[in-house]
Amino acid sequence: MSIPPIGMGAQDSAERAKFEGEVTRITEAGNQVGVVLRVLGSLAFHMHCPRLGRLQAEMGRAYTDIDLAAYSHQAKEIRALLTGMGYVENREVFMVSEGNRAIFDNPTKHLHIDVFYEKLDFCHVIRWNGRLEMDSPTIPLAELLLEKMQIVKINEKDVIDTIMLLSEHALGDHDEETINIDLIARLCAADWGLWRTVTMNLDKVRKLAPAYSQLTDDQKNRVVDEVNTALSRIETEPKPMAWRMRARVGDRVQWYKDVEEVG
Amino acid sequence: MTQLVRDLMHPGLITCQPGASLGQVAVMLTQHHVHALIVVDRDGRPIGVISDFDLLAGEWLSANEKSLAAMRKMTAGELMTAPIGTIEIDAPAAEAARRMRTEAIHRLLVMEHGRAVGVISISDLMANLAKTIPAHRETVADVMSDAMLVCRDQTPVVAAARAMTDAHYRSVLVVDDRGKPLGVVNGGDLLAACEESDCNGLTVSQVMHPALTIHMTASLREAADLMIQHHHHRVVVIDPAHPDSMPLGIISSFDIVAEMARPGSVWSQDPGEGRAR
Repeated sequence: MSIPPIGMGAQDSAERAKFEGEVTRITEAGNQVGVVLRVLGSLAFHMHCPRLGRLQAEMGRAYTDIDLAAYSHQAKEIRALLTGMGYVENREVFMVSEGNRAIFDNPTKHLHIDVFYEKLDFCHVIRWNGRLEMDSPTIPLAELLLEKMQIVKINEKDVIDTIMLLSEHALGDHDEETINIDLIARLCAADWGLWRTVTMNLDKVRKLAPAYSQLTDDQKNRVVDEVNTALSRIETEPKPMAWRMRARVGDRVQWYKDVEEVG
Repeated sequence: MTQLVRDLMHPGLITCQPGASLGQVAVMLTQHHVHALIVVDRDGRPIGVISDFDLLAGEWLSANEKSLAAMRKMTAGELMTAPIGTIEIDAPAAEAARRMRTEAIHRLLVMEHGRAVGVISISDLMANLAKTIPAHRETVADVMSDAMLVCRDQTPVVAAARAMTDAHYRSVLVVDDRGKPLGVVNGGDLLAACEESDCNGLTVSQVMHPALTIHMTASLREAADLMIQHHHHRVVVIDPAHPDSMPLGIISSFDIVAEMARPGSVWSQDPGEGRAR
């Protein structure tokens, strides 16, 4: 019997409900004490896609942990909040990451929390840039899309999350229930490497979406149309000299950081 | 500006093959004392241009051994800007200045009967300015850039190259701990670093050239003259009362050309209109 990749595999509804209930409990507790905690990862996609969130379970997408975005100036308050909720921090991670990341475990509930301070730093850096308050309880939709599209070796669970997001949200120039494609286009125009990975992955999503039998024809067409619109908008954003120069070098020089599996 | 492109252009092409390495391009730029080479195909037809600024990519992207090896394998044909902007030999020189400003380019290939016969660059326009501009005209203060890219003398060359590329600046002013100008680093200076087998230990103080300085009340002609005489593209503008304090700005050849191309400047007026201002 083969072992499914991380984040893929059957997960019963009680186990899924445990994650969904806990993340709500944590973010609400944060709100009550003025701590900004926003959800990212698979739970965020589920929360922000009320109509199509069921696709995760149908397509074998499993929750493995709770990922949270936060500001580093609130690290002390977050530590106190989560410790008070029964979590134990792995201090070594916070120290080694120079305060960019914190890990908390709940030995009773067998839950694992990853807190990303100020940025997501994997294949590319996606900074919060003071934008966490633009949405709640998740990070803004644009950052959610970038969370997946910045992964160079994108896998099936990332594609599923992206399909959900694109199926349920329009592209636009703001963040209100909308994927701020203008912001994504600006970030891609400022960094050729990010542009290279994002456009590569959008193209992959466009090719893979029609193969999912769980999607209706309308949903498949919607994803393809959204990807086409996103790619078109990214291409029309004016590119500065540094971008154009980097583009000439292209893939000859690695354009991303090597990372392990992004859970 | 009443002259035609043919009056100001640099005749002939200094060329390289598409397969030339970045190191070979650096050597040719240095030997010919030019800022760019025209890349030509086997039949001698221009297919692109590669400049000292393009070569900065070598330093910029060589963050480790692997990327350095990749950049060393790159050729002029791969890094060049293509296609090259062209202009007819009998076009007004003001048109060349306008295009350089609006398209943010430094040179145009000059064409005659469908054949490339030379290059006109910012330097050529500037040289003309130095020769013909009336004595009483705008001053350095009118066109200088108040914002500058500045670093200390122990800044690594790689960091300076990255800052120049990111900010799209062609030079960095090097100052001491009190802001006194010590020198300037430009693309040409960094070419020397490109020739070093290992430039990681190099600092800007090792590659910078002395800063030419000028007062903000000086005329554009004086600035152009200084640039031409020393073959510098930019001059540091200092406060005459406090020459050892932080400079006031920088004036570049591009600033002067932009002023020439400005609607209403004497260069944009008909020859019959008054030149005294």
